[in-house]
Amino acid sequence: MLIELRDVRKVFHQGKPNEFVAVQGVNLWIEACRATVIKGPSGSGKTTLLSLVGCMTRPTSGRIEILGREVSSLPERFLTGVRRETFGFIFQHFNLVKGITALENVMLPAYPSGENHAALKRRALDLLDHFAVAAKAQSKVEKLSGGEAQRVTIARALINDPFVIVADEPTAHLDTRLAQEFMETMARLKEQRKTILIASHDPIVCDSPIVDRVVLIRDGRVEGEAR
Amino acid sequence: MIFHPLILALIVASGLTSFLVLYASVFGAQILGRWDLRSGSEAQLGLERKTYLISTLLAFVFTFELLSLFLFIFTADRLHTFFVGAMCAAGTLHVNAFGYPALLLKAINFVLAGTWLILNAADIRGYDYPLTKKKYAYLLALAPLILAETALQTAFFLKMKPDITTSCCGSLFGASGGSVAADLASLPVAPMKAVFGLSLLLTLASGFYFLLKGRGGSLFAALSGVNLIVSLLAILSFISIYFYELPSHHCPFCILQKEYGFLGYPIYLAVLGGGICGLGVGVLNPFRKVTSLAAVMPSLQRKLALAAVISLLVFAALVIHRLAVSNLNLP
Repeated sequence: MLIELRDVRKVFHQGKPNEFVAVQGVNLWIEACRATVIKGPSGSGKTTLLSLVGCMTRPTSGRIEILGREVSSLPERFLTGVRRETFGFIFQHFNLVKGITALENVMLPAYPSGENHAALKRRALDLLDHFAVAAKAQSKVEKLSGGEAQRVTIARALINDPFVIVADEPTAHLDTRLAQEFMETMARLKEQRKTILIASHDPIVCDSPIVDRVVLIRDGRVEGEAR
Repeated sequence: MIFHPLILALIVASGLTSFLVLYASVFGAQILGRWDLRSGSEAQLGLERKTYLISTLLAFVFTFELLSLFLFIFTADRLHTFFVGAMCAAGTLHVNAFGYPALLLKAINFVLAGTWLILNAADIRGYDYPLTKKKYAYLLALAPLILAETALQTAFFLKMKPDITTSCCGSLFGASGGSVAADLASLPVAPMKAVFGLSLLLTLASGFYFLLKGRGGSLFAALSGVNLIVSLLAILSFISIYFYELPSHHCPFCILQKEYGFLGYPIYLAVLGGGICGLGVGVLNPFRKVTSLAAVMPSLQRKLALAAVISLLVFAALVIHRLAVSNLNLP
């Protein structure tokens, strides 16, 4: 078992008139080296659930374990390390830092590790080359096309060689060809024994043959599994 | 008198310190009563989130507590011009019954707050809150002393009357003073020198042994505690007289003045800082085997021991230099 969520609940603006329960009573197990999709309509709690799993937000109650280690109680100074070493994030809107190059964007998440700059630059260039965007390494990210930006985002997610790739609605802004290309990339990463966790309601993702498991979520609760 | 900027600063700051310590103590009582790391309840997660914030606030509060001892002495020293008979902080502190108790309590709280900061520094390096309950239990014990200090300090400042004629340090710390301070100041010089030298050497030796071998932390801490007291007595008994080059003048405050190059501040800082760091090594010693601290504790203890040893060496250098250049020749 790679990730385990026990009775996890997340409430935003607790105790205020606009209190909103995004996730409630979720018990979920994510197995290693498999591709899992969290499927549900908009506002069902998919992104919140991914944020909880990826240690980007803390549960209001309940516990989350990663590789047997309880992480929901960890102080922030430890959580940053867990996040950096365990997860590679691919966001719906890419979240690339504008004004700097594609290469610098890829290198950015590895800076806190203190790795030798030249070695890090080599690894980042290798990753960009692997995803066929090495030619755009020195381009500012705002100059990239949607597909190129997506591939730079994937390269950035892999720079710290994480166990888990977390992708939030990764195909929402891609056409069919690019969405299929994305899933092919995920298939290759799965072959490299990465664990894939995707939040999506796109049929190209949910019906993809690489996906082992589809967890259905609605109104912040897990309703069952479609596969 | 109360509108003196230094007095206002001390009163306001100690009021804030007391308020925050009181608030943190209420939270600490909740921690002691409800803390259960195995639970994923909302209350437990709330405590986990809050303890980090409270600890950070307390770290600032107790750092100020350390500084406030020096600010208090500095203030007492600056105010001596208001009182007839006062020559330095010694006279100011004697203008009413609250001055010396306030100073004594501030010195005790300096050491206790310092060791709390060390305990906290270790706790936040462990991923599973290894010393959280202990540091809040310690805080609950410390809180009444902090509140008492605020009360004494405030009473001291509020009850100051500028028309009072007070005693000068010469009479307070002179052989004929008839007080505990006078008795301590009149400790025989030669035996006191021997005790001080032996205490300092043993403490430094145990510190170096700990730094080299990583063992003997408790012994080093115990010796540091003893050395702290012996050093303060030594300042009173014989170090001071070498500064003033007067065999009868034992005031521990005059060395804080410009006339003596403000050397009292680095001396007291080295003595108290070295004492706290040395004691800190012992405070942390029982937790060396805690799983989440096992990797960081040796390094933390080494840093504390190094800081303690350097402080004691600085103190020794200042004292030896003064003894060497002083024109005072005792038989």
